[in-house]
Amino acid sequence: MVFADLLRFTTRSASSHRLRSALTALGIGIGVTAVVLLTSIGEGLHQYVLAQFTQFGTNIIGINPGRSTTFGAATGIFGSVRPLTIDDAEALKRVPFVINTVPVVQGTASVEGGGRERKTNISGVGSEMPVAFSFRVALGEFLPPDDPRAPRPLAVLGAKVRSELFGERNPLGEMIRVGGERYRVIGVMESKGQVLGFDLDDAVYIPAARALELYNRASLFEIDVLYDKAASADEVVRGIERMIIARHGGLDVTITTQQQMLEVLGSVLDVVTFAVAALGGISLLVGGVGIFTIMTIAVRERTAEIGLLRAVGAGRGQVRSIFLGESMLLAGLGGAGGLVAGMLIVAVLGIAIPALPIGFSPPYALAAEVIAVLIGLIAGVLPAQRAAGLDPVEALRTE
Amino acid sequence: MIRLEGLTRTFQVGDSLVRALDDVNLEIGAGEYLSIMGPSGSGKSTLLNVLGLLDTPTAGAYWLDGVNTSTMTDDELAQTRQRQIGFVFQSFHLVARMNALENVELPMLLAGTPPAERAERGRLALEGVGLAARRDHRPDQLSGGERQRVAIARAMVMQPKLLLADEPTGNLDTASGAEIIRIVEKLNSEGLTLVVVTHDRQIGERAGRRLRLRDGRVVEDLRREAR
Amino acid sequence: MTYRDCVRVAGGALVRYPLRTLMMLLATAIGVAAVLTLTSLGEAARRFVSGEFQSLGTHLLIVLPGKIETSGMGPGLMAGEAPRDITLDDARALLRSPAVEKVAPLVIGAATVSFAGLERDITVMGATASLLEVRGWKLASGKFLRDEDWDRASPECVIGHVVRAELFAGQPAVGQWLRVGDRRCRVVGVLAEQGISVMVNVDELVLMPVASAQQLLDVPGLFRVLVQSGDRDAVLRAKREVTAILRERHRGIEDVTVITQDSVLATFDEIFGALTAALAGIASVSLVVAGVLIMNVMLVAVSQRTREIGLLKALGANRRQVTWLFLTEAVILAIFGAVAGTLLGYLAVGMMHALYPNLDFQPPAWAVGGAFVVAVGCGLVFGILPARRAARLDPIAALAGR
Repeated sequence: MVFADLLRFTTRSASSHRLRSALTALGIGIGVTAVVLLTSIGEGLHQYVLAQFTQFGTNIIGINPGRSTTFGAATGIFGSVRPLTIDDAEALKRVPFVINTVPVVQGTASVEGGGRERKTNISGVGSEMPVAFSFRVALGEFLPPDDPRAPRPLAVLGAKVRSELFGERNPLGEMIRVGGERYRVIGVMESKGQVLGFDLDDAVYIPAARALELYNRASLFEIDVLYDKAASADEVVRGIERMIIARHGGLDVTITTQQQMLEVLGSVLDVVTFAVAALGGISLLVGGVGIFTIMTIAVRERTAEIGLLRAVGAGRGQVRSIFLGESMLLAGLGGAGGLVAGMLIVAVLGIAIPALPIGFSPPYALAAEVIAVLIGLIAGVLPAQRAAGLDPVEALRTE
Repeated sequence: MIRLEGLTRTFQVGDSLVRALDDVNLEIGAGEYLSIMGPSGSGKSTLLNVLGLLDTPTAGAYWLDGVNTSTMTDDELAQTRQRQIGFVFQSFHLVARMNALENVELPMLLAGTPPAERAERGRLALEGVGLAARRDHRPDQLSGGERQRVAIARAMVMQPKLLLADEPTGNLDTASGAEIIRIVEKLNSEGLTLVVVTHDRQIGERAGRRLRLRDGRVVEDLRREAR
Repeated sequence: MTYRDCVRVAGGALVRYPLRTLMMLLATAIGVAAVLTLTSLGEAARRFVSGEFQSLGTHLLIVLPGKIETSGMGPGLMAGEAPRDITLDDARALLRSPAVEKVAPLVIGAATVSFAGLERDITVMGATASLLEVRGWKLASGKFLRDEDWDRASPECVIGHVVRAELFAGQPAVGQWLRVGDRRCRVVGVLAEQGISVMVNVDELVLMPVASAQQLLDVPGLFRVLVQSGDRDAVLRAKREVTAILRERHRGIEDVTVITQDSVLATFDEIFGALTAALAGIASVSLVVAGVLIMNVMLVAVSQRTREIGLLKALGANRRQVTWLFLTEAVILAIFGAVAGTLLGYLAVGMMHALYPNLDFQPPAWAVGGAFVVAVGCGLVFGILPARRAARLDPIAALAGR
């Protein structure tokens, strides 16, 4: 029997029990829909998180005080034996391929201005921060490249602080108080929105050296190094290490490249997506049980038909492929229906709730369909084997 | 007991309208023994189905014990079948997974009869058809004649007034068939109204009243004094 | 027809087709077992985290510098510095509150610790004698930091058991002198194995008097102050009074955050509760698939048993009775499937427990009950269509097998 005939034969027998075939396919379809939906959410989350991270650029290396090999700045926040200083940040500019360095000190303080007061995040940074993090100034200008050790008391407001303190008024040139000290506002940042729950607009930027004074601490939180995209991250890291060792007498900092961070994050998120796909797979398994059951029933019901087929010269292999084909056809059609349904739901969700991070994942969708057909194959093996094993004479005698 | 007035039953077959029963007027008294004969498609089975309340007439009226059956709801029809009418089919219609006693108990089960009473009445009914020893046998362990006897026991266990038999001997050899006829005639002699649909002239001739149908109409209605 | 007869007849029909009955049971069982297994995972995570917090002691308050406007774990809690530190004097002042029983000020940082040529970067914690009791730690040998004036920077330290193993490898550690950063201190005690306890791995810790740590790490303020209230009921009073005392000492500005364990626990309970519910929902999808299978097979059964249905009708069964016969079959399947699934689920949970004995896998009661109800509900709902189809069959056609 040629393939086209086999296909026509199985299609016809599947469509002779329309409702039954539809329900069998529906079982698999629900499973595939679940997989598509869940992996879309996983994938959406993945893309969302990565987008949040990469919006600051990928050629950045973070240096935190304290040695830690685990992911994240675990010990950096506790303070350290040897402080990471503004001088370190300046010195790191001399490392090959380094374009810029940004010293960072972070904290909260109450800010007074425009007759109002607000508790907000304070970022002590260097003048190159907008370049390094691809931030843009909406109004005025960013902190000027003063002497990093003795900068003037100038401040740049985040969009939210500006609107909270000054409303629609032009804040440029106004004086504000940050933790008691007077600063002159010279710029307002463009709105950046929230990043991983951290409102970037609820911030005031002041020179790093002044932030260190404000919080009375010796060490920076972090130095961010922007390097030439053409250079390899490893090479830059080696240069930074040499510089730190030369200045501190030992490697007492944690160096994290954006790439490393993305890789770790990416692999974590991949595991999450895979796990939710596996959860959806439980339904596929149940759907497989359904196909097996229905195929077993079909073989029993069509015993006479099988006998007739054998009598007119069908081989065991042909009988087997007829039933296997039917089983895979049901699973494949169900899977395809599930794919369409899943994609529709994803599309509708995307339109209805734009904030929901959801992104269709073609590899997982394809894998779900392939697995569906495979399940059809596996579930069909036993019934098909039974059909092929029937004795033609006995089979004809039934009915 | 039964009165049919202008009873008509039509079926739509493809484009044409088939009159399976055409203006049948008939009265059957309690305790009568009636045979219905006629060629295939003459309306014998349709008449039996209507009498058994399985089918409803398209036109005309069916009075059973003075009640117009067309006014009955589906539930009332079911209950009437359960209490007053017994069926015997050509192909026995026993439930394969149940043994003889369980098959006989089935109508009582539907009626909600308590189990103890059910078992006792079932046993008596099987005894009545001479199958007391076979009550634990499943249908596939019984011969054709035995199966039909189980079916008769099941039909009679609710003590109906009317027994409807549709070709009861059609699937049986002559000896088993004669035995079945003997059993139902005995029931008739005890007061049961018996209606037998048959192809078999010999069996049909035995009835006290013989009806012949053709094209849905009663063409012959012969009565004879009981033997 | 009595209820018991209905069940008997339906059961008899199921037993007649053992393979397909078994398959439908399996399908339902997989769904129920999945719900149980997944929810017990979520529940285990929840219990693990709340256990971690419970290990802090049930009436503990955590005071940290900086005011967090929103409750919960905002970014300011993990990083960032408030304009004003909490000082040792602040911590001492908290003892004025009658609701406060013990106060343990903490400083945390990293330093290079060396002994006999071995060097390691280790988390250093500055603490006081009260910490031992507040945290309920045990000592493996020696004694804890002595109960002395908090401002005294005694050259003493207590080390975690991994630190001991890595630096002293078999030798007795108590009495030895360690180099921590630019200072020297004598080991007076070794902590028993504690494991990771809320953010800090106690086993890899060097503890020293809080004043010593402040000098070493060059920090004027405290990282956290742990406050133990008299009893559970005093927690809220203690929170009010601690806040009031610190506001008064900080010139009327409320610039600290006081976290009670209950509020943290409640947040975590909420997060993990939602997670567990989501897992249960995902697993329930497979119960729906099982329901579809039951419907499908019941439809097959109706078409295969057409003659039987016709007979029942001829024998006087009404629609309701036929409906109930088939519905009962579906529900029996669902109930037995659910029971099997529950057993299977508990088996899986037992296996997980054997693999990870220190996690408390236990499917929550709502999940066990819910899975059962959903499974039976699915059987009922998906049984309706086949049962109605059976009930509506025309008796004459059914008897003829059409």
